[in-house]
Amino acid sequence: MNFVQNFPCFSIVLCMVAGIISTPLKGKGAKRVTLFIVSLVALLSFVTLLYILFTGTGFTYTMGRFPAPWGNELRAGLLESLLATVFSLVVLCSLLGGMDLIFTDIAEDKVNLYFILVDLLLSSLLAILYTNDLFTAYVFVEINTISTCGLIMIRESGRSLIAATRYMIMSLIGSGLFLISIAMLYGVTGNLLMEYIHVEILELAASGQYQVPLLVIISFCTVGLAIKSGLYPFHSWMPDAYGYATISSSAILSSLVSKSYIFLLIKIFYCVIGFDLIVQSKIVNVLFVFGLVGMIMGSVSAIMAKEIYRMIAYSSVAQIGYIYMGIGLATEAGMVAAVFHILTHAVTKSLLFLSAKGLNEASGRKRVYPALQGAAFRNPLAGAAFLIGSLSMVGIPTLAGFISKLLFATAAIDGSQRKMLPTLIVLEVSTILNTIYFLHTVVRIYTPVGAPEEYKDVRIHPTPGRIGALVALILMNFGLGLFSQPITDLIRAGIEMFA
Amino acid sequence: MMITWMFGAAILLPVLSGLFLLLRRGKIQNRRLKCVGIFLVMALTALLAVGLICSPDYELTVWRLTDTISLTFRLDGLARLFMGMTVAAWTLGGVFAFEYMKHEENEDRYFGFYLIVLGVLLALDQAGNLVTLYLCFEMMTLTSLPLVLHNMSHEAVMAGLKYLFYSIGGAFTALFGIFYLFANGLTGSFTPGGYLSAGTVSYTGTTGMTLFVLLLIIVGFGTKAGMFPMHGWLPTAHPVAPAPASAVLSGVITKAGVLAVVRVVFYMVGADFLRGTWVQYTWLTLALITVFMGSMMAYKEQLLKKRLAYSSVSQVSYIMFGLATLTVDGFVGGLAHFIFHSVIKDCLFLCAGAIIYNTHRTRVDELRGIGKEMPVTMWCFTIVSLGLVGIPPFSGFVSKWYLAVGSLGSGTGVFTWLGPVVLLLSALLTAGYLLILSIQAFFPGADFDYADVKKHEVNALMTVPMILYAAATLLLGMFPGTLIGFIQNIASAVL
Repeated sequence: MNFVQNFPCFSIVLCMVAGIISTPLKGKGAKRVTLFIVSLVALLSFVTLLYILFTGTGFTYTMGRFPAPWGNELRAGLLESLLATVFSLVVLCSLLGGMDLIFTDIAEDKVNLYFILVDLLLSSLLAILYTNDLFTAYVFVEINTISTCGLIMIRESGRSLIAATRYMIMSLIGSGLFLISIAMLYGVTGNLLMEYIHVEILELAASGQYQVPLLVIISFCTVGLAIKSGLYPFHSWMPDAYGYATISSSAILSSLVSKSYIFLLIKIFYCVIGFDLIVQSKIVNVLFVFGLVGMIMGSVSAIMAKEIYRMIAYSSVAQIGYIYMGIGLATEAGMVAAVFHILTHAVTKSLLFLSAKGLNEASGRKRVYPALQGAAFRNPLAGAAFLIGSLSMVGIPTLAGFISKLLFATAAIDGSQRKMLPTLIVLEVSTILNTIYFLHTVVRIYTPVGAPEEYKDVRIHPTPGRIGALVALILMNFGLGLFSQPITDLIRAGIEMFA
Repeated sequence: MMITWMFGAAILLPVLSGLFLLLRRGKIQNRRLKCVGIFLVMALTALLAVGLICSPDYELTVWRLTDTISLTFRLDGLARLFMGMTVAAWTLGGVFAFEYMKHEENEDRYFGFYLIVLGVLLALDQAGNLVTLYLCFEMMTLTSLPLVLHNMSHEAVMAGLKYLFYSIGGAFTALFGIFYLFANGLTGSFTPGGYLSAGTVSYTGTTGMTLFVLLLIIVGFGTKAGMFPMHGWLPTAHPVAPAPASAVLSGVITKAGVLAVVRVVFYMVGADFLRGTWVQYTWLTLALITVFMGSMMAYKEQLLKKRLAYSSVSQVSYIMFGLATLTVDGFVGGLAHFIFHSVIKDCLFLCAGAIIYNTHRTRVDELRGIGKEMPVTMWCFTIVSLGLVGIPPFSGFVSKWYLAVGSLGSGTGVFTWLGPVVLLLSALLTAGYLLILSIQAFFPGADFDYADVKKHEVNALMTVPMILYAAATLLLGMFPGTLIGFIQNIASAVL
């Protein structure tokens, strides 16, 4: 076994170790440890990605001494390591971009707790990506939920507490459904490792046994994870949670947490149930319809939002709708588009949150639109970053969002005839709605007329860390837009590794 | 190699100098030096553009977005025509603005974006495939938005938003058509005559759906050209911009919509595919409705710049009508009208600007007797108005002649005669809303009091562009042969 094959396990464990080390440390020390470990994890994941590219196959990694089918396994393919790399980079950028607010929003004696939670969150994200074992997946889904709740409410303002409670309730319903489906799956197949379940399920499907339980399993699992990832109409926790948490949390939550559940769902579709069976079960059509509705309703709510953070949060609802719509197309092209959009949304939404924070800072932290008039002149870098993020979301060529839209549209046109027209029409309407709220905001921040007098002379000079975070995210946006072909090839190869 | 450098320089020079001006806005004290600098940039860009126009056809792939999609620029006859008009209008409008912008604030921002849009337009004119075209189209909308927003009043911001939403909405409507064509195999660069009629690619789309998305594309890009039913932004957005910006918005930027439609219909799909289909008839109907409606609205409008904007709505759809006939003569008439209308409408807006600059009068009924105050301006106004109405020997006559001939020979049933009738009606209305101004300006009536009227003409920076435009209107009308021949070459390749 090559040494590199240890890296997925190392990165999960390292994050946990970072959490443990941070416990006795003060805020500053915890920050250094976390930043170091997150960068290290990004590096390790990238090396894993290169290794898999080089060898051409993924690998499974046995945890502990029990071999399959009893033990616990990790499994690394192209897709897992690619997402792990991007996720850890986005966590790093989000932390750097919102660092000053972490230290001002959060009580001094709790700052190290914040970093512990981030370490835990990252370890659970990585575990959800890499795990090959459904029960491990469930455990880390719960760790994910707990650390996310912590990240939302650590600010200890009234609204963030309410938001955390809401999030917890919704999320636990989702986890409950997911747990029931795993329990039933175990009952039906007697296995927890993905490939062994898959073999059993294929036999069951061939022999026609347990058809109804299988259908229940599929729907519970799908609905549970859909609730957790905030698919419309289960999105009500999102605007509050993203709007009132400290900004690094918002950036991490909106761009990564819900995406990890979506990825888990995709993995279950391919590796556990088998894609043909999923398509037969028609559950994808349900996802498709809710995805379409989410694309419209999320955008409509975003237009009506009165605060910039809530607007961005509602836009996430729409973007998650896009991803589910792609999954719902039930073709490989649709799945590639969905995964690509996971990446696009991760790098764009964190960019938008961080730049909105910069603009907000230049406007007395009022959040509301009238205060933001002309904010881009008071904080030029944040203004430019917001402009680029918006253009990417709207879908201007050379930016990531355009490629996402292109992939969705192409997948829709090449897919089933019945889904083509609804997809294209909703994609078009939703894009126009996107334009309305994003570009309207852009025009506001670049229009100094009516700017409140008291901030007229405010000039924000960002620290190197924040400049680095914004620039890195902007570059990633352009990178996804300009080098889309190798990345989509990679995603396609990664999905083929699943099957 | 030389071409690549020239191409890059022609686009980057104005964009980078525009960005420089934006970054240094308000910090350059010596206005004369700044204006000379801007003029040099524009002149150099114009020289580079002329150099490109004179060079042989080329195709440059700048970047490959995916295996099938690339950012490609190519030069052909159509690109030459549009580039020529663009640099001419930009240089003259810029010279005019040196004087005009003295009475507006934030002129650095104005000139910065003015230069950037020039670069973007030069790229747009040479866009070699649909994605490149779409990219440049969106960039043009976004970079020209600050010109509309310029004075930042509530009215201007609202007009700017209207402009933005209409344009981007239109562009997205077209984008989904583009996606459809792409996904079904129409990925190549622009080819005269298109792919579908010639059957040179394996195309998997159904005919019905393809026609539908073509209508989407025509309406979507037609938004920029102010075609009904997406014309609402134009009369709001053009008048609030500073006059030289209104001139290029009306004269050149609306034509980008025409360019995009020509590229899709004649260079991607092919005219034969569209001929005789319901899409052609819908397109003809929309164009004629716009022609008539724009003229009526202009006739009723009392604000001078708004009247001119409505006139643009009407006139750009003349071009659309000519294209929609899908005949050689209609195509020639349309593109000739593109050049003539650009020249004329630029001049009209500059005249309006000169009047506003000098007298602060904006309403039509305040212009009685202004011919005595500003004779040069009003003479130019009169000459180009005659051109727009279509009275020989001025240029509008030539294009309308071809439009009518094209329509009569198009074999489109009722439209063969309805087209020329509507064009004639609209010409009468044009006379009604433009010439009445000249009449009142020079013959204010017996009761007009000449006592307090003094001659105070604007200076040469403003008059020279207007005189050049007026001269062009006359000369192009008297010697249209070269231009028409050039356009006929393009037409014979695509039809």
